[in-house]
Amino acid sequence: MSSLVNTSLIVSCIAMTVIFIVLTILIYTIKILVNLIPYEEPPVPKAKAKPASPTGGGPSPTMVAAITAAMATHLGKSPQEFHITQIDPK
Amino acid sequence: MELTFGDAASKIIGSTGFSSLTLGHMVMILVACVLLYLAIWKKFEPLLLLPIGFGCLLANLPHSMMMNTDTGGLLNFFYQGVKHEILPPLIFMGVGALTDFGPLLANPSTLLLGAAAQIGVYTTLVGAVYLGFDLKEASAIGIIGGADGPTSIFIASKLAPHLLAPIAVAAYSYMSLVPLIQPPIMRWLTTPEERKIKMEQLKPISQTVKIIFPVVVTIVCCLMLPGVTPLLGMLLLGNLFRESGVTARLHETSETHLINIVTIMLALAVGSSMTAESFLKLETIKIIVLGLLAFCMATAGGVIFAKILCKLSGGKVNPLIGSAGVSAVPMAARVSQKVGAEEDRSNFLLMHAMGPNVAGVIGSAVAAGVFISLFGEVGGGADHAEVVTEAISNIVSLP
Repeated sequence: MSSLVNTSLIVSCIAMTVIFIVLTILIYTIKILVNLIPYEEPPVPKAKAKPASPTGGGPSPTMVAAITAAMATHLGKSPQEFHITQIDPK
Repeated sequence: MELTFGDAASKIIGSTGFSSLTLGHMVMILVACVLLYLAIWKKFEPLLLLPIGFGCLLANLPHSMMMNTDTGGLLNFFYQGVKHEILPPLIFMGVGALTDFGPLLANPSTLLLGAAAQIGVYTTLVGAVYLGFDLKEASAIGIIGGADGPTSIFIASKLAPHLLAPIAVAAYSYMSLVPLIQPPIMRWLTTPEERKIKMEQLKPISQTVKIIFPVVVTIVCCLMLPGVTPLLGMLLLGNLFRESGVTARLHETSETHLINIVTIMLALAVGSSMTAESFLKLETIKIIVLGLLAFCMATAGGVIFAKILCKLSGGKVNPLIGSAGVSAVPMAARVSQKVGAEEDRSNFLLMHAMGPNVAGVIGSAVAAGVFISLFGEVGGGADHAEVVTEAISNIVSLP
């Protein structure tokens, strides 16, 4: 029994060493890859001409929805609990 | 043929399952009901425990021909997929298609956390040998600490097929209990200050690197540990489907329909192996206890190594992400996030924990590869080829 336990201890040490070696090789492989091929920002698509706002130059419904969602998160309230009446573009 | 009323009645009664029902069957039916209860009402890994539980129920109904050993039975065919190591690699393909290796590529040092968490595998190996299992059985039990169901099944079917049922049940049960097992260990091993550490935002990774990564890992790992090629190869093929951008249909199939179909077959096959003869043994209790030890040690190993990285990096690594090194994607990463948020609500560790989490998948597969290199038959061998040929000819010769 004790010899088998000793064997299992040796197996464990060898196996952990192999795992660390394999994964360390992977770490350096990744580092080389990331250095060789750095991330590049995707080209920004040309902005399309915005259609005129139906409210005559005011913020679009999408913008109001986005601001409402951000305010709701910030205030910790439901979007139904408040209503945006005016947006100052300054 | 003439039959009296008495003969007919006794023949029908004799042909029912009730006539052959033993105490062992009844206990296993109860075990199946417990698994179904845990899956449906407690929501413990329902996608797996439900079909495993139902497979167990079917296998323990006498004369149903649903045991994994019933040649010609439906679940015997499903079991061939486990026996011949077909289903676990296919699950891995789906896992690869679902996994984003981006967080790992952005912070490759987290691979070490995936390696450190494998300490659970090897402490359990020693514990299992101490409790009287031989080295092959102990290896199959130890891999429960990798917290990876398909890997556990793969290794059990290769090294200790007679222990497949309790190992699979222990692996999936403890995986579902990760949110209960890990947090006390994580809190015990870390200070409130360490849990509050905020990590730097991960840098973006080029899509080309994401495409090259699975190919390079396949070459490196499979050359070093050929025994793990079925698992790791399929994992990385699934990931290549995802990242290449040219195989949208294959990617979609792998991450949805294929993994779902294979999960049903694999879980039913595992359930069908849960017979009274194979399950109601003292070994099962030992495996359940050792499985818990494996998970605890794996969590502790990951957290302790993350603490070391924290010290070496000057406090830039939150030690809570170390626990995610135990695979169990993405549940273990969510646990890191949850425990971190308990200390500081504005601390978002999820993406940082995904790095060690996917590293855990690779780490447990590598641990499996080491076991196969030490105790398995790398390359299949003539015997294995004969068994496969026999199985195929059995299927082909069916009416």
